[in-house]
Amino acid sequence: MATNTVGLFDAPATALAAAGELKGAGFDATSIISPIPLHGAEKVLGEKKSAIKRFTFFGGLFGMLFGFSLAAGTAVLYLHPTGGRPIITLPPFLIITYEMTILCGILATVIGFLVSARFPAMRERVYVPEAAVDKFVVSVLCSDDEHDRRAEEILRSAGAEEIRRLREED
Amino acid sequence: MQAERDISYADVNRDVVRSLVETGSKYYITLAISVSVMLACFFAPWFYQLQYGIGAAGMNHPTVWGTYLASFIFWIGLSHSGTLLSCVLHITNSSWRKAMYRSAEAMTLFSLMVAVTMVMVHLGRPWFIHWAVPYPNQMELWPNFRSPLMFDVMAITTYLTGSTIFIYMGTIPDFAAVRDRTTGWRHHMYVLLSLGWRGTDTEWHRLGWAYTFLAVLIIPLAVSVHSIVSWDFALSIVPALHQTIFAPYFVVGAIYSGTAGIVTVMFVLRKYMNFEHYITKLHFDNLGKLLLVLSLIWTYINVLEIFTGWYSGTSTEYEAIRYKLFGYYAPLYWEMILFCAVAPLLMISKRFRTSFVPMLILSIAINIGMYTERFLIVATSLSRQYLPDAWGIYVPSLVEISIMVGSLAMFVTLFLIFVKIFPSISIYEIKETLPEPEPKTQSESGAPEWQPTL
Amino acid sequence: MSFINDFLASWREYRRPGYYEKFDYAWTMSIDLDRCTGCEACVTACQAENNLPIVGEDEFAKGREMQWIRIERYWEGEYPNVKLGFIPMLCQHCDAAPCETVCPVSATYHNQDGLNAQIYNRCIGTRSCAVYCPYEVRYFNYNNHHWDAPLDEQLNPDVSVREKGVMEKCTFCIQRIRQAKDQAKDDGRRRVRDGEVQPACVQTCPAEALVFGDRNDAESQVSQSMNHPRAYHVLEELNTDPSVVYLKKVGSNAG
Repeated sequence: MATNTVGLFDAPATALAAAGELKGAGFDATSIISPIPLHGAEKVLGEKKSAIKRFTFFGGLFGMLFGFSLAAGTAVLYLHPTGGRPIITLPPFLIITYEMTILCGILATVIGFLVSARFPAMRERVYVPEAAVDKFVVSVLCSDDEHDRRAEEILRSAGAEEIRRLREED
Repeated sequence: MQAERDISYADVNRDVVRSLVETGSKYYITLAISVSVMLACFFAPWFYQLQYGIGAAGMNHPTVWGTYLASFIFWIGLSHSGTLLSCVLHITNSSWRKAMYRSAEAMTLFSLMVAVTMVMVHLGRPWFIHWAVPYPNQMELWPNFRSPLMFDVMAITTYLTGSTIFIYMGTIPDFAAVRDRTTGWRHHMYVLLSLGWRGTDTEWHRLGWAYTFLAVLIIPLAVSVHSIVSWDFALSIVPALHQTIFAPYFVVGAIYSGTAGIVTVMFVLRKYMNFEHYITKLHFDNLGKLLLVLSLIWTYINVLEIFTGWYSGTSTEYEAIRYKLFGYYAPLYWEMILFCAVAPLLMISKRFRTSFVPMLILSIAINIGMYTERFLIVATSLSRQYLPDAWGIYVPSLVEISIMVGSLAMFVTLFLIFVKIFPSISIYEIKETLPEPEPKTQSESGAPEWQPTL
Repeated sequence: MSFINDFLASWREYRRPGYYEKFDYAWTMSIDLDRCTGCEACVTACQAENNLPIVGEDEFAKGREMQWIRIERYWEGEYPNVKLGFIPMLCQHCDAAPCETVCPVSATYHNQDGLNAQIYNRCIGTRSCAVYCPYEVRYFNYNNHHWDAPLDEQLNPDVSVREKGVMEKCTFCIQRIRQAKDQAKDDGRRRVRDGEVQPACVQTCPAEALVFGDRNDAESQVSQSMNHPRAYHVLEELNTDPSVVYLKKVGSNAG
């Protein structure tokens, strides 16, 4: 049964250092739980890539096509000639296209965010409530007791003020 | 930016949770008053108007648009600073944004909601408003996408969706922080709202990107929304409305009144929610500078409007300008100039910008002036159109004035509900502005009062 | 490749300004201001024909009278050298009507007869069409109107009574046009003859200042008045392309 060893730190700097050491010792499943976004986290834990930008781009692209076909298509479905304008009137329809591009872009970004950050959480995950206040937590997934001990050692020597073992349901 | 006094991370959590959980009698009294004003001054006259027809308002033959539309533009305008300003400041990494952006965005959201309600009040047959929504229906009829009013429908829907998502996404970490400190129904609500946020590096990374993308999408959207509102007027051929300057004019006016609205809301939050340590003179100073610049741009466009009207040489444009400056509504015009162009010049002085009460008074004056501006755009232009035989004067009826007051009460009510559900200043972003905790020190006040649940 | 050609053909069709290649009938009215005496018989006739409500004193004082056609009066000069001019003003049925594009629900559109049609059932009462109309000839129902007995018995059954919150305007008596077209079809003829259909205002004009007809028919009376040297459109500079032609007043009493 895999457990998570977590160490609570007072300051972001020590937490980052600890995470770096764990990473160096071969613990790949290391993460930092913090009350604020830590800008050094990527340096320590490796570059992250998110699919959100792809969601935004394709959402916007879909919105653009959808917006124009909504305006032009509905105008063709039921003809209402107005004001001496053509049925497919480009300038106004481009405004509709513009708005729908943004709307779909926004919605796709939200979906991208939920998917890539795995929200909403349907089961309990490793969490330390103090991390929402002022503690910086390094969490590391360990496959057996041996790893647990090693991780704990590294965390303690890096200055963790408290160590907990948490189990995550898979 | 540094807060005036040393605030620890735990203090931030405590102060914000306190603002949500501890509710004094003053709050309930204010809420009761605003709800009853809303019911008495907004809904009661509106139901009367639904029964009787739009005739309950003072509109007449040449001036078929009135204060309802002016209120609509006003509320849309007020919505323009919150999310737009917040996005611009987010992208440009201005840290002074962080203490105020949440309530500014809430202002966006609620003024948009009130604006949508004003559209319903404005319509002759609001029970058919769904016909302006493109949905497949049995009649196989679709809305007319060539209409500037349809642009409005699309733009405002997008804007409302966008700002709701933007404010919600920025609050998820705070919901999580508040979730851990609350009990009972509040706890359950925040469990759902926080979506299971933990604060891992991956989650922060994703949130950062999504938030930035949203900000980038919302800035052009917000600019387009008020441009589109201005096209309701500018795409007509009514003299004094048919002007190319209208889109930038409306956008500037919207940001102007919105920023003034933020000053008002900041003052109230600071005073009554005890956020003195978070909302400081610095914020008022910066907002004051912004207001000053906006007021100058606004004044410039106003002068330009008169100039182009005069320069065009056409009798209709000339008459429209003359009527605006010296006609029946002239006192309102000069009041607007006083409140929106002359009085804001006081903000040149730093002492004025950093004193709270004068800034509050000025911000309210600016918004009164901006409401007048919207009223004048509708009333003066429509009552002086091409055919002199169809000229007329429009005076708002009691029902209209009552609904105007009631819509303000509706905004206040929504805001009062908001401050008890949303952390009205951002916990995690305030923390980012605080000095980082030093290693190896004991935290004094942040001792955990809860038991870990895992 | 045929579907591309089809697509291009329909694209061209839908991109044609005004959509119609040619109106079936292009109904036009000409108003000879030299003949008009300003007697307002047309106003009354319209009132009777189209179920226009009498709004009452209070509403009239607020400026909410309903007159699909009205006589506008203009004075020129100072007393005693004052000149009175008047001009009947009604919906101009513009071919490039600003009111049509602004309606969000397509409650007003241009039909194949070149008429600016108003669909009361579809109207949601944004009143933007009345703002966009430079001629100020769109009238809004600010409340429900009622006809005291026995006046309700004289309502025209061919014309609907409009409810509150709905915009209305001159239709060129579309019910009469419809009837004439039906009659023409029943008779086995293809076209409505010139003079066969007359709106109530035209029918009642004692001075015969108003003439109604089809400008597609080069022989019709309106086509001839359209080519008259005195012919002009009101607010022509706005490019609304109106279907109502005015013949200018000339001579010593021109106002």
